[in-house]
Amino acid sequence: MAEGVAREASVFVAACVCGVASGLFGIGGGVLLVPFLALFFAFGQHRAQGTSLVALIPPTGLLAFLAYARADYVSWKIGLLLIPGVIVGGILGGLLAKRLQPQRMRQVFAGVMLLLGIWQAAAAWWR
Amino acid sequence: MTLIVLLLGLAVGVLVGLLGIGGGVVLVPAMVYLLHMDQHMAQGTSLLILLPPVGIGALREYWKQGQVDVRAGILCALGMLVGGYAGGLIAVPLSSRHLKGLFGCFLILAAFLLWRRPEPKSPLADSVAEESSRG
Repeated sequence: MAEGVAREASVFVAACVCGVASGLFGIGGGVLLVPFLALFFAFGQHRAQGTSLVALIPPTGLLAFLAYARADYVSWKIGLLLIPGVIVGGILGGLLAKRLQPQRMRQVFAGVMLLLGIWQAAAAWWR
Repeated sequence: MTLIVLLLGLAVGVLVGLLGIGGGVVLVPAMVYLLHMDQHMAQGTSLLILLPPVGIGALREYWKQGQVDVRAGILCALGMLVGGYAGGLIAVPLSSRHLKGLFGCFLILAAFLLWRRPEPKSPLADSVAEESSRG
């Protein structure tokens, strides 16, 4: 029992870390939560992804969003245009995930993120 | 322009379902580079997009397969709500340039984490690992 509580407490703490990244970088946080669940809590890949999607259903970014909105850092037009595509695409992606080998996909995605990250950091600081 | 934005949303959504992520990690750089948005503006807009449950369609597919830990998911949602507030407070006063650089570093870190995960050797090994994690 105590062990279960400790485990749940550490899941909560790990999620807090994901939340800081979420507010700091304006992201959902799943990109950190999925590897955390898999690496630290022994979730299978599909289970980690499904659980991450549960965590993303409530508006977890609400408090962070309000901080940005107060500073007028929100483009409503673009944002509202993007929402329907993301929802429809999400259904397609969920269907695809059942058929594809997720490891390959994840590694391709990780490679793209690595390149994007290097590009962004260099564009910001390399002057 | 409108068409590009709609297609971009669709492409990001596929990744949401496929990888179980929110999609902001792709949305933010896409808005910065394709739509020429400022870093802060892209991040705030990404948070707006993530307010409605964009992953719900994808979740349904995982749910049908029983690949969901609801209790852990709720705990994670609470943690992310709290942490998100702190993150937002840190980000808003930062200069756009440093925020952009930090975002880049975060992408690199996340890429390593995603890549590193040890994949179970077979479906059997996977189910054994899950049994032991439950027990």
